[in-house]
Order: sequence, then C-alpha cells, then structure tokens
Amino acid sequence: MNNIFTTPGNADNLSKELLQKWNQVIKNNYDSLIRSYPSEYFEFAPADINNASTVSIKWFGDPAEPAFCLSKDIAQKLSDWGIKGRHNTHNEYCEYSIIYGFDSLGKKRPKRIQVTTELREYWVTLAMHSPNKLAEIASQVLNREVSFLELYGITDPTSLSLREREVKFSRIVAGHGNDRSLADIGVPSQPEGDINRENALFMTHPINGLDDLIYIVLFGAQPYAIQKDGSIIPADKESIFKQFNVTQLACRHADPAAAMGAHGAAFNGQKVAFTKNLGMYIHSFASNRYLYNDNEIPSAWIKFSRGEEGMYQRLEFGPSDNEDIFLDDIILAEGGNDVPVTGGYQIVKNVEVGPYVHIGEPKPMSDSDYVLINENLDGINCSEANICNLMQRLYSEYSNSKNKIDNRLNRQIV
Amino acid sequence: MLQEGIYYQKGTTPGKHLSLIFLRLNKDKSTENIRQDIEGLWKICHELKKGRIKDLPGVDLPIESLSILIGYGKNIFSIDGLNKTIPSDLNQFGSFRKPKANGGGKLLIGSGLSYSNKVYKNVATEDIVLQFIGDTELSVSRPVVEIWKFISDTDNDIELSKFYKGFQREDHRSWIDFHDGISNMKSGDERFDAISIKPSTGLDNWTELGTYLTFIRLSVNLKEWRYLSLKEQEIAVGRMKLTGCPVEKIKDSVAFPSLGCPFTGTNSITDKINGKYVNKSFFEPPVTVDLETRLSHVQRANQHRSPSSSRDSLRVFRQGYEFLEHIDEYPGFSAGLNFISFQDTPERIQRMLTQPTWLGNTNFGGKEDDENPKLDSLLEVLASGIYFVPPVNENESFPGEIIFKQIETAHNNV
Repeated sequence: MNNIFTTPGNADNLSKELLQKWNQVIKNNYDSLIRSYPSEYFEFAPADINNASTVSIKWFGDPAEPAFCLSKDIAQKLSDWGIKGRHNTHNEYCEYSIIYGFDSLGKKRPKRIQVTTELREYWVTLAMHSPNKLAEIASQVLNREVSFLELYGITDPTSLSLREREVKFSRIVAGHGNDRSLADIGVPSQPEGDINRENALFMTHPINGLDDLIYIVLFGAQPYAIQKDGSIIPADKESIFKQFNVTQLACRHADPAAAMGAHGAAFNGQKVAFTKNLGMYIHSFASNRYLYNDNEIPSAWIKFSRGEEGMYQRLEFGPSDNEDIFLDDIILAEGGNDVPVTGGYQIVKNVEVGPYVHIGEPKPMSDSDYVLINENLDGINCSEANICNLMQRLYSEYSNSKNKIDNRLNRQIV
Repeated sequence: MLQEGIYYQKGTTPGKHLSLIFLRLNKDKSTENIRQDIEGLWKICHELKKGRIKDLPGVDLPIESLSILIGYGKNIFSIDGLNKTIPSDLNQFGSFRKPKANGGGKLLIGSGLSYSNKVYKNVATEDIVLQFIGDTELSVSRPVVEIWKFISDTDNDIELSKFYKGFQREDHRSWIDFHDGISNMKSGDERFDAISIKPSTGLDNWTELGTYLTFIRLSVNLKEWRYLSLKEQEIAVGRMKLTGCPVEKIKDSVAFPSLGCPFTGTNSITDKINGKYVNKSFFEPPVTVDLETRLSHVQRANQHRSPSSSRDSLRVFRQGYEFLEHIDEYPGFSAGLNFISFQDTPERIQRMLTQPTWLGNTNFGGKEDDENPKLDSLLEVLASGIYFVPPVNENESFPGEIIFKQIETAHNNV
C-alpha cells in the first residue's frame, strides 16, 4: 500500500516500512471512529478532494478549563503547577514543561519553557517499531544522548516483542493515552519516568490524542442546521454540542474550533480532510509581547523545531544554560502591565496551535442535505461544567500544598 | 442585563452622534460620598433623557433618543473601602500602555499602533466614562455642559477630564474612502455572545452580563494614504474601493473581488433594492485561502473563528464613530475614528492587536516585516482607555452602585 500520510511536520526521515506503520495507526484510529461518526463530508485521503485549498484551524494553547471554571489567575497557577498541572490542565493539544536552573545565589528559578504539540501516537509507533530511530529522535529533540533505559526502563528493547515495547514505553514515557488495553494491565495515565515529565518531549494528556482529533473533526463535519423563521441557518456551537450531549467539550478552545471549522465547510457542501502531514502544529507565537531589559527578546531565545517552517511542533523559549539570565528576568507586556514570566502559561496563551486541513469546493445544497437539530436557546454555562468539580478539587489541593510549603518556610525562618 | 447604548439587538440602530465624557474622581473622599456623587451624575443624565435640565425647570426639551452608558476604569478600584474588588480581567487587561513622557510610544508591546508624537498624556484613562448616543449633535453635546454644571454646583470633587465627539457616516465608508468597517457581527445572539461577561462562580460573579468597553481614538494620515495607488490601497484594505466588495484573491499585485459582487443592478455593496441591502452577504469578508489576501486589514481583524462566545475567537462588537476636528498645523484638520468595541474581556482586543497572525506588529495590514512604509504610520493613537461596564441591576440607583455599597443581586451575593 502507498503511504497516504507523511511524518508530522516532515520532521523525520522514516523508512517506508516505518512510515507505513504510522499510516496504519492513523487508519486504525479512523476506522474505529468512522462507524460511529460517518460523514460524507470527510475524506480520509487528502488527495481524494479535488481542487482542495489548505487552511489552518487554530486556537490558543492556554488551558481553557481552569480559566472558565475558576479564573485566569487560578488557571495560571494550576497550569504552571509542575507535572500535576500539566497532567490535569494541558489539554488543548499544547503541553509544556518548565526547565529550571540555579542562579548565582543558588536560588532555583525558571529558565526555559519547552512547548510541544507532538502526538503521543506517533512516538509510540516509533517506540514499537524502531527503538533505534526513537532514541535518535529523542536525542535530537533534547540535544543530548538519550538511552534506552530512559525510554523503556531496560537497556535493550530490541529483544522485546512489539507489545512489550509499547507497554514499557507507555509506562515510562507516554502514559496509557486512554488505551483501554494498556490501562487494564496497569499502565498509568501519565508516564512514570522522568524524561517526558521533566521535558515536554511530546504530549501525554489522554485528551490530546490522535483519536480525539479525528473524532472532533468527524463530529463537526456535518451540515448541522436549524430551521428558524422558515429559513435554514447554520447551527451554532451551543445547539450542536447540546444536541449530542457533549456540552463538556463546548467550552474548551480546541474542540469547538476543530468541530466548528469542519461544520462551516460541511454547511457549504465542502469536503474536509486532514493534510498528508496529519499532526498538530504551532501556527504563531506572539514573541513580540516579551521584553528583556526593555528590548526585544534575542532571537536565540526562541527556538522552533520538530518540523519545517509553518509546521513546527516544538518551541523552546528562554535563555541558554550559558547565560546568567532567567525566565523571570523577561517581561510579558499585558496591556499596560509589565509582568515577569514565571511559567509556561504566559507563553502558551500567546501561541496558536492546530491542524491543517484540506477543504474542497462548495457544492449546491438542497434542504434535505442539512442535518436539522434543535436550537439551544439556554446557552451553555461553562462554569457549571462537570470538569469544574475536578478543577475546584485541584485548586484546593494546590492551595493546601502551597500552605504547607509556606508553613514549612515560616518555621525555618523562626 | 447589558446597559443601553450597546446596539447589539436586532432592529436597533445607534444614533448618528456620540459623545464620550471622561471623569476623574476625588478619591480622598469617603466611599459613600463618591457613591452619592455618581448617583447625582446619573440623575442628571436621566433627566436629560426626559428632556429636562436643571436651569430650565418645567421646560420640555427634545428627547432625541438619547442612550447613556457608564463604565469604570481600573483606577477607581484603588479607592479604600469599596464593596467590590477589581474584576480580574480589568486588573489584568484593563489598560493600554502610557505614552512616552516626550510623546509617542507603543499602544501595546507587539502592536503596530503607536501614540502620536504629540500625545504625551493619555487623557482617556480615567475613573469613569459616560457614553452618550443620540440622533442630533445637540443631544450628545448638552450632556457635556450639564455635567459641567453639576460639577460646578457641587464640591468640584469630580473633574471633567476630557470629552470627545463623533458621528456616523451615511455612506458607510471611512476617511480612507473604503468600506473597511462595514463588516460586523450579526445582530442578536452573535453580538451578545461576544459582548457579555460569562457566568462564573468566583469573586467576579457580580460582573456577569456586564461588558468591557475599549476606546481608541485613531487619527488617519490621509496624506500618506493618498500616496498609495488604488491597487495598493485595495490590497491593504482587502476590499475594492469603489464597490466595497471584499477581495477574494490577489494575483500579480492586483486584487480580485468575490464573484458576483456587487449584485447585478447595484454599484456598491451598500446599494439597496426595494429598501434591502441585496449585497449584505458581501459585508463579511470571505474565508479565503489566498495567503496575500489574508494579510489585508479586514482579514487580519476577523479570522472567522466561531463561536463568538469563545474568547478564543477574538471577535469584538465594534460601535465606532468618525471624527473631524480642527488642528493648528497643516492641513488644519485631524480626521479619524473613535474606535469603540465591546467584548466580554479586554484580553480579546489585546490579543487581536498583538498576535502576529492577527494585527500584531502591523499598523494597518500587510506583511509584518515589510509593511508598505506608507502604511506603517497610517493610524496614530490620540487617546485610549478600557472600562468595565457593569450590568443593569434594578436594585441599583445607577449601574455599578454595587461597587460602592451592598446591593441585592441575582447571585444573592451582596
């Protein structure tokens, strides 16, 4: 079979066989979803859409849930709360880790932010079928030698079966990614090893998965419509998400953007497909909003990688280890306020992420082509979403842990 | 409920004239005294709506559909003893940068908009803004004089810092002769969803159904604009000059309009047939895949993200008014726009003005790194401000009274 999809961002030069494995993963995910969400407006193979135009679907990378549930201030605290924050809040297809360093006084301070939009499934495919390629790419990304021990928990994964590699890599580096078969044998949701906890090697939040990405575009790729005053008009987000009892998705950045992008096309009779570089990309970063000593940030402090220009999947922001400068020496200009950068939330809020899609030409639509749904006049109150209970509990936990640290420090001072 | 003066509903049309009055309070007074001052002001305003002024007792003056809106700036929340703390979004995003002491300076870091070199003090950043919209120039001018009378007759604890006036144009064009501002959100839900502050469970729940007003007084450098050729102007705006039709694509430095625009029998998108705008579908610029077209002003400002309720969409409801005023220097006048927008958080407008894929780093439009030199200072900022516009609560004497004293609200949160 010819490969339909290339590597995300054209970042890696894979063998034909390895690329075939990645294509098979995409196909398997698609097949498992298309039965439940059939859409005549979605094409699996991008080449099947004639005269297609390529467009980006974009949203901002900052976690939406803690912001709409609690506040943006609390969202920043929770999102920057180390690995706990990443695992619970970074679910807009954009994850980050904070790299710390020690200043000349020995104080631990944030040094750089690593942002990734790379799909977990791609890395698991490499881990299963080519441990050597995996180690090579991981070493390139982290700019140091990465050992099999860090990736699999053993020194020689080549002797393992595919399944054993998948399990070990998922346990140590990738987490179970909502894969029931992995979860059932005790692979944790989030990785146990350090390499993808201390770094943002690729995304591990189960919601940031390939299956969810395909699902939400398939879900949206329908000409949902409302009949109003004798006319057929496009259904709005609230009506669509309510009709299908997925209001929990409606308040996030990623899902409404992806679904409504596909819906907009379908309503015009246009077909949609992911491009051959199916992946999640960093489309823009407002680096112009940051200042160091009242000047623009040196360009060396902004490093995009893991893809060709326009298809970057990784951003590293901040001074190098050789400089006695730290992230909190950098200022983010928020309107008239100048605030020091203390974590990744202040970076990803200025980053737009999303996939590229092909969109075909419009076709004339007759009334019977539309999928009529009920209009939701009540709206969706995001602050009452179920996820807000989790966010509230997380914030309590954060506050308690912060109080404990403060008390300990106070005791030491006394 | 939103205050009046925001014409978002179907069938409502704002009056032709506007005045904005900026007031500074004596913050050394007690909270109760300040509350009484504002209550007094509000009574004066409402007498004006009835056609009554203090110096003409018993005389009925023309009413002329006056609408009045009150907003509060960030600084007012520094008063001791208030009943409410500053709303989080006003605290974080409630200001633009100050002009430099010797004039000029960026409106926002990352934005291509700067203050005029003649502006060294921003006179629109005050404690209170009052917006008056009416059908005649007198209807919006009289409040200025009546408010001065009120201040003079009391303890002079309020200072009338500045007022600005503006008018609407029947031709729906701006001073650059284009229909660059004609695209706005659909009246009704789409506007409301972008404007109204969403429910929240935190300390800011009292702000629900309020909004934020953003004001930027922009002068247009018509001399530089007229140096541009017609083709350059059309590419910069993203519309055709004579017809107002949106640009669909640019080829060999020539802009091509959307097919079928304008409708046969019309010369401009604002022409009517039988009293109806037959070209209304061309008010909104199309979703285009042409990369150069996407750099135009109208495409950068609206990237067709839906739903408007998502702050991620960066949609804002614009309600601007043009101005023309005398100046002593050549050419003897300053022409421009009182840009006014309403949105659920001022973060929307700040992101729109700084994100590189939106209006970031550009003054008006075009490529950010080689913007046409004649365009890089087309717009200059003369004044700017951001104000919280509280919701209407029937238990209050004036919108926002709850900031100063306990009031029963729908949230029962006094």
